[in-house]
Amino acid sequence: MSFAPVAITGMGCICAAGGNLSDSMEALLRGERRPAPPVRFASNHPVRYPVFEAVDFEGPPDLLRTSAFALHAAREAVADAGLDRKTLGALRVGVCVGTTVGTVMSEETFCRGYLAGDVPDMGPIRRILRSNPADVIAREFDLSGPRQTVVNACSSGTDALGIAGSWIREGLCDAAIAGGADELGRITYIGFISLLITDDSPCKPFDQRRRGLNLGEGAAMLVLASERVLRRSGARPRSFLLGYGSAGDAYHLTAPRPDGAGLRGAISEALATSGVSSASVAFVNAHGTGTPDNDRVEGRVLHDMLPGVPFLSTKGYTGHTLGAAGAIEAVLTAACLEMGKIPANAGFETPDPEIGIAPVREVTTVAGTVALSESLAFGGNNSVVVLGKA
Amino acid sequence: MSGTGRIVLEGIGVVGGFGCGIADLSRSLADGNGHPGTLALSAGSGPIEFPAFRADTSLLKEFVPARTLRRIDPFSRLALLGSRLALADAGLADTGHDRLGVIVSSGYGATGITYAFLKSFIDDGDICASPTHFANSVHNSAAANISILLGARGPSLTVSQFDLSVPSALASARQWLAEGRVDRVLFGAVEELSELIGYVWYRQRGAPRSASMTPLRTEEETAIPAEGAAFLLFSRAEEARAGYCTLDAAITGSHADAGFPLPDGGLLVLGADGRRESGRRYAAVAQNARIACYTPLYGSMPAGPAFDIAAAALTLKGGRFFPSPADAARDFPATVPAGGEPFDGAQISCLTLSGIDDAYGVTTLGRLAGKEDPR
Amino acid sequence: MTTVEKLKGILVKDLNLEELTPGDIDEDAPLFGEGLGLDSLDAVELVVIVQKHFGIDIQNMDEAKTAFQSIRALASYIEGRLSGG
Repeated sequence: MSFAPVAITGMGCICAAGGNLSDSMEALLRGERRPAPPVRFASNHPVRYPVFEAVDFEGPPDLLRTSAFALHAAREAVADAGLDRKTLGALRVGVCVGTTVGTVMSEETFCRGYLAGDVPDMGPIRRILRSNPADVIAREFDLSGPRQTVVNACSSGTDALGIAGSWIREGLCDAAIAGGADELGRITYIGFISLLITDDSPCKPFDQRRRGLNLGEGAAMLVLASERVLRRSGARPRSFLLGYGSAGDAYHLTAPRPDGAGLRGAISEALATSGVSSASVAFVNAHGTGTPDNDRVEGRVLHDMLPGVPFLSTKGYTGHTLGAAGAIEAVLTAACLEMGKIPANAGFETPDPEIGIAPVREVTTVAGTVALSESLAFGGNNSVVVLGKA
Repeated sequence: MSGTGRIVLEGIGVVGGFGCGIADLSRSLADGNGHPGTLALSAGSGPIEFPAFRADTSLLKEFVPARTLRRIDPFSRLALLGSRLALADAGLADTGHDRLGVIVSSGYGATGITYAFLKSFIDDGDICASPTHFANSVHNSAAANISILLGARGPSLTVSQFDLSVPSALASARQWLAEGRVDRVLFGAVEELSELIGYVWYRQRGAPRSASMTPLRTEEETAIPAEGAAFLLFSRAEEARAGYCTLDAAITGSHADAGFPLPDGGLLVLGADGRRESGRRYAAVAQNARIACYTPLYGSMPAGPAFDIAAAALTLKGGRFFPSPADAARDFPATVPAGGEPFDGAQISCLTLSGIDDAYGVTTLGRLAGKEDPR
Repeated sequence: MTTVEKLKGILVKDLNLEELTPGDIDEDAPLFGEGLGLDSLDAVELVVIVQKHFGIDIQNMDEAKTAFQSIRALASYIEGRLSGG
């Protein structure tokens, strides 16, 4: 059941590493990372955990920061694709965005006011209601196609991309803007710390001494285009979405299945739908959060299914951006394929014998034309996309 | 991909203000009157209480042991109950579901446990934030809880698109089956009327003035907030043993200047739910269709369209109209079917319109010809 | 009330062990796996419970492992920390 490839004609990205895709890639190739305790919010938690904030970005006050990120990345992607509001208006264009924060009625000021018996200002609530990320992008570009906000925790960005690809293949729309966005705020920060899976030093994906993840924020968007749109616009693809697979662990709300069965299923489905064999994979952009559990399970699966294939986690540069992660990592993967090289896995020094393989330790040339990007989510969803060099 | 490509609705599981299960929903549809309960909360001015459609999930204890339920919050309880009822309705076991996809759609998600999480650190400081509350407040925890308890290892999807959550997610359910990714999809819509959402409703719209909704009087505000879960088990026709109807189309979009793809001579079930801002949109587009509206039985919530689909499915299977609000003729000049009359149309479409922009969803169901249902 | 008794009450309430009373709980039985049958998510919740009710902070799960062997072990750990150990 091999899928027809879907062209990716534009990409946009914003994260701690940079305000656009090209700046972000340059920072990664320079091996630069700047994890630091949060400056945009405060916590009375006694430990200061490093995070990856996009410190220079300020969104408009009437939108959630998450949706402002989404819009920023979408604008870059649309311009990169050589499109604008007018040209998009002549097409049926869909929007599929992954997020965790972007739709949640989770507003601390409002809840504190309510709890204290006050009559809290409704402004923050109204902001949430007008900030559904897919709605925001559809409004910005006046789009008429299908809209979906995917809230699949950490695999949302990868899933949004896979879903938008299926819309294009089935002809439900001519083009789609797909990706993910998430801001880092107090509530997310406090929540992850409470689970004892955050590292109070910069994260070390796949390292034997890894102690947890660092949170991050940002967004990435990709413009997917049908054959018809490609022919008419003469746009040149930057990459291709070749395949997508997704499977559940059915195991635990926060811990991955120890045997990695869900991830194995997702990788198999992704490869099968792309018509590509594991031998052709040039590299893998792993989920690699730096938690003991994730990296052990994921590492073992890569060891078994893709032995000898170079892999890395880019979360050492971006932090774990939750709903945005799958999308940010997809655009980084596509950019790496274009450039023929992958950055070093930041934070890695000592191999873990329990995993048996190690990520790349320096910038590495890759000659192949196919790569995988994978995401493992809370709740046990595992999603993988296969990207091809244009 | 083999087979006819047809998709069958095999089982329905519902819980809401009308009761629990398909029999309660059928009774409520035949009766034609909504019976809301109440929601009590404390506003700045003091305690308040107003009409609301509440759901009772105590039946869940018959499906899932108490020990397993201890950490399951009200939102996930609604989801678990709806999903179990749908599987039972289809006569399927609750284990061994390898090729089962799980999709949950919700406008507002698990707001109860989200609020409880916030309280845990507002009350006792950031270091006392409850990790269990946090894990459960993650939006896809209901789908995860369903998958874990059923051992379902297929793909999982949770969608949050406010009023268009159901149509948007349903389009994905249809695609998964059409692509052959899974053999069955357990599709559900869940909405929890937590204290937080109830308070937001109260601040935005005021308390409902009446315990009776009249959504087809579209210039009036008569919405009553609600909670509930509606789960629909869809299968590829080759897999289904019996069913209610087929899923012929699940379309979403916006700017429908050319009009919506409406059934020819069929029936249009409107998702109008007494909110004035969307009422007007429904009045504008459905002038010439033969319409029905059942939201007064289960209330106003983003999950509502899934209940509309359940009502349409029961109509197609039973071959008779359920009664629809009597005074609709004022805003909808086309014929509104009276209850009990035979319905022999080939299709029913359910229309969902957004309250904030011109996004729409049209779900079309078809009569299931030639399949005998032993039930 | 001894620390053991206090803990039993707290666990029943905060971990929502509805079908148990404090009297049903064996203070020497394992908390995780068998015995009370708690899991990894309960373990991190227990860290917060100890912080909230006794003001003691446990920095990581390695520290917690010995303390969480049983209710008696946990009570002993708490008393030790409270007396300045």
